[in-house]
Amino acid sequence: MHQALLTLGFALVGASILALSALAFTLEYSVTNVANLSHGEILTVGAYCAYLVQQHGGGVILSGLAAAAGGGALALAVHNGVVDRFVRKGIGGLPTFIATLGVSLVIQNVLVIIFGAANLGYSVPQSPPRTVGPFLWTDTEIQIMVSAVVITALLYVIIQHTRFGKSLRAVSQNRSLARVSGIKANRVAALTWVLAGLIGGYAGFILAESIGTFSPYSGFGFFLITLTAAVAGGLGKAVGTLVGGIIVGIALEFFGGYLSPSYNLAFAFAILSLVILVRPRGLFVGGRRSIFE
Amino acid sequence: MIDYLVSILTEGVIFAIMALGLNVIWGWSGDFDLAYYGYVALGAYMTLVLTIGPPTQPTTYILGLTLPFPIAVIIAIISSMLLALIVGAIALRHLRGIYFSIVTLGAVYVLYIFAGQFVPLFNGYNGLSGLFDPMGDFFHIDFASYGFYYLGLCAVVLIAVVIMVTRLNTSRFGLALRSLREDERAAAAFGRNIYVTKLKAYVLGAGIGGLGGALFAGYLSAFNPSAWSPVETIILYAAILVGGRGSTRGVVLGVAVMVMGLQEATRYLPEVANQPSFAPAFRLILTGIVLVLFIRFRPQGILPERRLRDEDPAGKSGAAAVAEKVVTGPSLDTGVA
Amino acid sequence: MTALLEVQDLHKHFGGVQAVNACSFTAAEGQITGLIGPNGAGKSTAIDLISGFKIPDTGTVVFEGKQVQGKPPYAISRMGMIRTFQTPREWPALSVLENLILACYEPRREGFWLSLRGPTRAEKERASEQLIRARAILEEFGLLSLRNERAGNLSGGQKRLLEFGRIRMAEPRLVILDEPMGGVNPVLGERMATAVLGFVGAGTSVIIVEHNLPFIERVTDQVVVMAEGRVIAEAPFEQLRGNQAVVDAYLGEMPTYDDADN
Repeated sequence: MHQALLTLGFALVGASILALSALAFTLEYSVTNVANLSHGEILTVGAYCAYLVQQHGGGVILSGLAAAAGGGALALAVHNGVVDRFVRKGIGGLPTFIATLGVSLVIQNVLVIIFGAANLGYSVPQSPPRTVGPFLWTDTEIQIMVSAVVITALLYVIIQHTRFGKSLRAVSQNRSLARVSGIKANRVAALTWVLAGLIGGYAGFILAESIGTFSPYSGFGFFLITLTAAVAGGLGKAVGTLVGGIIVGIALEFFGGYLSPSYNLAFAFAILSLVILVRPRGLFVGGRRSIFE
Repeated sequence: MIDYLVSILTEGVIFAIMALGLNVIWGWSGDFDLAYYGYVALGAYMTLVLTIGPPTQPTTYILGLTLPFPIAVIIAIISSMLLALIVGAIALRHLRGIYFSIVTLGAVYVLYIFAGQFVPLFNGYNGLSGLFDPMGDFFHIDFASYGFYYLGLCAVVLIAVVIMVTRLNTSRFGLALRSLREDERAAAAFGRNIYVTKLKAYVLGAGIGGLGGALFAGYLSAFNPSAWSPVETIILYAAILVGGRGSTRGVVLGVAVMVMGLQEATRYLPEVANQPSFAPAFRLILTGIVLVLFIRFRPQGILPERRLRDEDPAGKSGAAAVAEKVVTGPSLDTGVA
Repeated sequence: MTALLEVQDLHKHFGGVQAVNACSFTAAEGQITGLIGPNGAGKSTAIDLISGFKIPDTGTVVFEGKQVQGKPPYAISRMGMIRTFQTPREWPALSVLENLILACYEPRREGFWLSLRGPTRAEKERASEQLIRARAILEEFGLLSLRNERAGNLSGGQKRLLEFGRIRMAEPRLVILDEPMGGVNPVLGERMATAVLGFVGAGTSVIIVEHNLPFIERVTDQVVVMAEGRVIAEAPFEQLRGNQAVVDAYLGEMPTYDDADN
């Protein structure tokens, strides 16, 4: 029992990161109907931005902010430079999906050119883990979980209780209708992507912190797991995605304990396929996308 | 210099074969399959484990026979087709569009991870090696001229594949398959079994991919996870997209431009940037940019797919000339209601 | 008149909505049967159930004496029932002529191995016969000059005619037309009516779902009226005007053919 609780403790850390990443991805999808295959790169760029700050002596807080800022900037660039142009031209989901694949390729390799392909690591001093009830966490891990909760709460407030959040919801449900009501859909979408980028960039930072090293390819690898969580929760549904992220994160940790953790990705894919095949609308009622009947 | 030319041409020919297989799945059937390079990789791996003999410590891998190269290639093709049958049977049942792509992406990542992690399979990250000059002894070719011979062999295979693919494309099989791509529901309303037909195309394409992989293994003499990552699929897609999705000539042209041409154009880059990984990264950046541009502005490619053109002015005789007329290529966003 | 299609007690619900509720009707051979009803009456769902695109909860669909409910669309199509859809569903990147050529399902000629080894002389003859027939049909529908055009470039009305051409090519026993007049310029109405009537002459019975009531009055022999998922009347058009249930369902609006500008 004690072991299970310990594993749960570790799982919650991973789940926090996964939940944030999946939320960001869902935000991107909800306002543009595009599955952003370069989403992983937003995380990677966030990790690298934090790295740059740390190389110049910045602390954890500054690194996190830099990561968020980097992610937000990249997301805006991708949206305005590529995705929005496709959306405005009425080009469908699949071709835009392919385009984001191209974007992903470009970003990964730009990072390779700038930073090299090898793994890098943060120079954050790790404090010894402390006992918190039945769990065992380091300060970093506690920071990760707490910040994840805070960000999620903030996101909830923004979406539910601000005017921007209202526009966001309107655009995600029915873009043309929202536009007719006077909402500047493209602007809302761009800002939503910035928001998603801020969250995603920060997620990349805490991902790198948690694993210890990262490379230009880290984000894409993590992306598949993110996709699992997002699809499991129901593409486009924020609450479902959140729960999906937590469940998938915990499940992965538990099963990763039995097999080598490098099989995590394979296990995530197994979950993903199962979900898509059995319940393509996601595990929760009210998911949006339906597929070919 | 000559050796370099032979080398790059051989690579181009092999990639053209791979691209033609992918064209069956994406160009004709309309499925954006991200697992394709997995079938190529399996073809390569199987060819190796069937020809390099039993493993010597500390390497481990399955089988380890010393079959003649052609036999090994045939078995490799069959194994790729079997894998595709399994993946396709699951993925094509209910999924289209991005869901299909995502599941196939996951499938190839699983294969990639197993190939790299599960050492008893294909020797993990170290991979396999030792396939030197396949059939060289058989034809009594000396080491110096082996490159030419292998280029010739691959070219012959390419021609055979082109003939087969062209035949299928202009036949009713190809036409029916394209109708599935254009509008599945209408095709079903006119009697086509969507699932079975798409699965056939998927397995066929994978078989050609396996063939390409087998030849690739012969070319490289070795194969390991660093020789393939799921990102290689994108290069093939870029080639097809640029050259002309759906059309055989277009695909070959696309490979010539995006694989050989790009390789040539960036040949002198490593010296510029003082970094060994600069040139490959730069090529991938260009590939990504070209991909985005073409999908946005010229999705049908440089040489788009051709339609049957009925030249008989009065429309009275029974013959129709299949001519070179083209206007636009396949509809890009299809199938999902 | 023998019954070509018998629909018995079909039920289908989605979530909490009962879209089709104890729906039963008959379509006779050699006739044009209309299927009308206000929006949301369940007509399209019923068509989907009949043609295999949806599976009914309960009920049977008997086509030419055989039960077909629950069968996949391609199987039902091969038995001789073809349907169209609410929007024209041509194969856009193929030419008009290719669209027609593909209308006939030919398992042998579409097989992989046969396509690989190339056609025999007999098959080539068959192909050119089919080509001649396709041209004749295109000419009948006024599309011959467009035969090499990319089908996706046609106008909405032309696409509808193309769909009709495909049906003539396929010679099914029964064709179900799902709102063929939708989005079509009323100028083409007479041409489309001629085409529909022509189906019967060629041996194809017709079920036609339409909102355009003048069109229904013009072409049908029998009309089935649906409302709220069930059939509320089954009679020739003229008799429907006096049917109180039908009038209520349509809230009193039953325009005649003479009223329409055609």
